[in-house]
Amino acid sequence: MAIVRQTYYIYLRNLRTWLSQPMAVISPILSAALMFLIFGAPLGGITQIQGFPTDDYNAFLTAMILVMTMTFSGSDMAMVVLTDILSGYFDKLLLAPINRFSILFGTLLVAGTRALGQVLVILAIAMLFGVSFKTGLLGIVTVILTATIFGMGTACIGIIIAIKTKSTQVTMNSWLLFMPLAFITSAFMPKELLSGWFKVAVTINPVDYVLVGVRTIIIQGWEWESILPGLWALTAMTTILLITATWVYRRATA
Amino acid sequence: MSSTDIVLVRNLLKVYKGGTRAVDGIDFAVQPGEFFGLLGPNGAGKTTTIKILSTLLKKTSGEVRVAGYDIDRDPLSVRKSIGFAMQSVGLDDLSTGRDFLMLQGLLYGLSAAEARSRVEELLDLVGLASVAKRKVGTYSGGMRRRIDLVAALIHRPPLLLLDEPTTGLDPQSRLAIWDYLAHLNEQGVTILLTTQMMEEADRLCRRIAIIDRGLIVAEGSPDALKADIGGDVIHVTVASKDEALTDGMLEKARSLVGSRSYVREATISGDGLTLKTADSSAAVPDLIRVLDENQISATSISVDSPTLDDVFLLHTGRSIRAEETSGGESDLAVRSMLGLGRRE
Repeated sequence: MAIVRQTYYIYLRNLRTWLSQPMAVISPILSAALMFLIFGAPLGGITQIQGFPTDDYNAFLTAMILVMTMTFSGSDMAMVVLTDILSGYFDKLLLAPINRFSILFGTLLVAGTRALGQVLVILAIAMLFGVSFKTGLLGIVTVILTATIFGMGTACIGIIIAIKTKSTQVTMNSWLLFMPLAFITSAFMPKELLSGWFKVAVTINPVDYVLVGVRTIIIQGWEWESILPGLWALTAMTTILLITATWVYRRATA
Repeated sequence: MSSTDIVLVRNLLKVYKGGTRAVDGIDFAVQPGEFFGLLGPNGAGKTTTIKILSTLLKKTSGEVRVAGYDIDRDPLSVRKSIGFAMQSVGLDDLSTGRDFLMLQGLLYGLSAAEARSRVEELLDLVGLASVAKRKVGTYSGGMRRRIDLVAALIHRPPLLLLDEPTTGLDPQSRLAIWDYLAHLNEQGVTILLTTQMMEEADRLCRRIAIIDRGLIVAEGSPDALKADIGGDVIHVTVASKDEALTDGMLEKARSLVGSRSYVREATISGDGLTLKTADSSAAVPDLIRVLDENQISATSISVDSPTLDDVFLLHTGRSIRAEETSGGESDLAVRSMLGLGRRE
């Protein structure tokens, strides 16, 4: 099918663009390693608090670092798409006699590849810091898939922002939108130990359910009452974001 | 207009949000093999028109057929039939020149082998083979224009659309591109270009349409349009011999010479007059005498053949040059500084 071939060409081009910018590749890896160094040892004492689900704070942090890296990668994708729009290259792609959805799909597939690469590196760093999975190899595979799909979902937000605003200023500051999604969560402390408005905000943030699901797989095992809400939240979020991004893209390019 | 037209535009209207009528019901047609130009100042509606032809922009109403295909019903066939080099050169700066063209070839349906061979042929043709491994972002302005141009030709389209192809280029690069475009047209490629450069339209186009404020005000070959003016154009700079009579001197001079039988039209331009005349050899001595008798000196006189700017002046009452110096270029410079690109 032509669209598959065209998507592949766009995918290869976007992948090459990403890999040709070493800092774009290295930066998320460095930031993940730094987070283990900055938060891991100094906050390790938190595990002594009654009710804390594990005595390995690095294992607790791994889910947070995964989800946060994936969330902020949405902001990166926004800049990638915006650069093409502002340079006029996006118009050049629209001029080609191709199915225009191949441009969107090629971009999303690269977002998935980036997410996959980053997840693998973060998990490797986590293991260097002594983190082990309660759920074994199957748990590792599940976390890799979950985080990769989540990364594609946040890429949709980036694509929507770039297409709708076409503004460098707005897109560069889109991390302001991603920040509450990543931080108003139980990233540093289990929800049971939170209180007040923050606890309410965490409860309505779908990202927290994904975070809890991933963390449960890492530190507690196959406890489905915590994992399933995460999978549902991931499925719902990704579906809604994919449909919205496709709709916005179609309106912009029709 | 006939069924053989490669471009057919009928009553094309484009109204932007906010009510701006960028294109206000224009008609024109281009025959296969023609070199056709849309000439006009910034904001005339040129880029809007060419973007509609390319399927990048939706029209408000009207009929547009390109290479025999309706742009709304069969946009994919239109895109296969055209190459479009846009005003803002849309390149992939992080890609090498060769990779950039290779992807263009693949997206236009060439096989990998065909694309490879075509890319090398085009790189050689425009003298970029030696820099093909360099990233496009490192190319000079002229090199960027050239690679953008050949990217539009990768699939050998019968129709090439060019939006101000030499704007911003140095004279040497501009001449090289003009030569290449003329060569392409000789090879049978139909070319439709937009330009605000009269010299470009005059030198390249066999037929032009002058567009202003969304309307086509004149159409024909450059020579025929200039012939419509009739005869020569005299530019005369004047000064009063009597300082007390300086006020209203230009208007007086215009009135004096405007009534002479050999003057078809007299307009004030700057500190002088522009006169259209059928017989400049008889006009000049008489002009000097009449002005002198009325205490006005002709400090300089030049006689020119009509230009396309004179044609624009005739049909709109304004000059393209004056439009560009009074607002167009400074507006463009400010927009460029703000990173906003060119406005149409």
